[in-house]
Amino acid sequence: MKLVWKLLRQHISIPQFVGFFFANLVGVVIILLGVQFYNDYQAIDQEDSFMKADYMIVNKKIGALSGLTGAGSTFSQEDVDDIKEAGFAEHIGAFTPSSFNVRARFDVEGFVSFSTEMFFESVPDEFVDVKSDAWKYQEGDNEIPIILPKNYLDLYNFGYAQGKGLPKLSEGILGAMKLNIQIGRGENSGEFVGRIVGFSSRLNTILVPEAFMQWANGRFANQAVVKEPTRLILEVSNPTDERITSYLQDHDYETDEEKLDASKTTFILRVIVSIVMVVGVVISILSFYILMLSVFLLVQKNSTKLENLLLIGYSPAKVSFPYQALTVGLNVLVLLLAVVIMLVVRGAYLNMFENFFPDFEAPGIWQALGVGLALLVIVSIFNIIAVYGKVMSIWKRKD
Amino acid sequence: MEKIQLRHTLPNVFQSRTDMVSDIWLRDVTFEKGKRYLVEANSGTGKSSLCSYIYGYRHDYQGEILFDGEDIRMYSVAQWTNIRQKHFALLWQELRMFPELTAWENVDIKNKLTGHQTKEQILLWFEMLGISDKLDAKMGRMSFGQQQRVALIRALCQPFDFLFVDEPISHLDDTNADIMGSIMMAEAEKQGAGIIATSIGKHIEMPYHQVFKL
Repeated sequence: MKLVWKLLRQHISIPQFVGFFFANLVGVVIILLGVQFYNDYQAIDQEDSFMKADYMIVNKKIGALSGLTGAGSTFSQEDVDDIKEAGFAEHIGAFTPSSFNVRARFDVEGFVSFSTEMFFESVPDEFVDVKSDAWKYQEGDNEIPIILPKNYLDLYNFGYAQGKGLPKLSEGILGAMKLNIQIGRGENSGEFVGRIVGFSSRLNTILVPEAFMQWANGRFANQAVVKEPTRLILEVSNPTDERITSYLQDHDYETDEEKLDASKTTFILRVIVSIVMVVGVVISILSFYILMLSVFLLVQKNSTKLENLLLIGYSPAKVSFPYQALTVGLNVLVLLLAVVIMLVVRGAYLNMFENFFPDFEAPGIWQALGVGLALLVIVSIFNIIAVYGKVMSIWKRKD
Repeated sequence: MEKIQLRHTLPNVFQSRTDMVSDIWLRDVTFEKGKRYLVEANSGTGKSSLCSYIYGYRHDYQGEILFDGEDIRMYSVAQWTNIRQKHFALLWQELRMFPELTAWENVDIKNKLTGHQTKEQILLWFEMLGISDKLDAKMGRMSFGQQQRVALIRALCQPFDFLFVDEPISHLDDTNADIMGSIMMAEAEKQGAGIIATSIGKHIEMPYHQVFKL
């Protein structure tokens, strides 16, 4: 095979293969980075794990008057029935606010200690997507599961901790810590421990299990229990249903729109990544053409040698092999280098990600590697077939 | 392979000719393993075409060519490769050597494929043919007569049932032609193979079993 290679490497054009190499490298790097960046971004933009996508939170618009009187911002039973009749909501749940005082103290040993007045709300358990045993309260338990708004954590991490030079906290760390909670006042009070089971970016409230709320409202209420809810949670079958938008407008209701914004961002990012990947694919296809053209040119220039090799008994497969190995070898080299470049670039932006999002856990690179390998296999198969076809055309003496 | 049969074979280019007088074209001819044949021809009578047909290099003929009764038009790529490696040695009139390689490499590239001859045997042939000083010379720098001798050595670097030599001594003196003839005969006898030689005048001296006029 050494002699065959010595023969067939004649007329190999280094500049052509270098041109292919870099063109293909650029293409493959773009494709791999596109896949990887999209995956990494998805890991940041994780769906709220406590609320399913088809949930909507609805409240009445607060006007100047209603804000003062407190009246008119609650949903009456008629309002709820009306929404039910409108037909777009499959389930409707009410937010129940706490009618007692809550004081929470939060210690990070050696660093910081917070103490704050706060409030609780609850929604029916069926709307909370936490493993059922973590979201349970039984009368007499000293521990209360709590879901906090994600904003609180962001406020601490990006505002407070940043300013004071304190360490940033991740969801995982906070989940392991306890809140000391005092409920009620004076004689009619109780001490509890809050256990943070998660953070929600969609629920702008401090959520406790409904069972606890009902018990505590009965036990510690120091004011009239508000019967009518100010917010409703709806499970809708189709969030893009136009009836919802028009119904909400007609009744002067508001809903959380962040979710819509987030999905818009994701959608635009997906479009951009797709465009970039298409550019990568186009570059790869063009570089594939360069390679095929230079190999065909090479075969053409060496056609007499190839023919003579066939005539002294070398099989077309054996004669094709050096050029097939050459192209596949180049493809493998391109992939290896592309993966290295991708890892370097990724390392740079992952640093940024981790600064902005302490909770960020980088997903694996298997998908990008898989795409790269799939490309390699497909392109190599094409190369192998094309070279063999070209040699066979010499065998058949067709030009 | 025991025999090569030509049945009413005629190159397509001769189709329009009506005055065809030939011992081979349009006749039933059989070449048998172990026998020696001479095909004498004038230029342009299709001598090289005959080689190409039998070697599966060209198929532009009518009639049939059979190897052991099997029509070679049906042969697959793998079958032809096998024939060229193990059953049929051919010394082309135009030699088909690789000018970029040395004389030794030109032979070795074939022997590496078949593993048939020892290095000693090959060197001995170089010596017998008086070209052992050209072992490392680039083929392209050698005279046609020298190349012819290397081409014969390469042709012998494989097992064969038939050795087909197309004008093997066109550029050789009589002494070298005789040496070549004896090497061919010895190698053919060793394998029990047949020899088919062509010539357009000067032919290699051997006891032929049959002589054809093409």
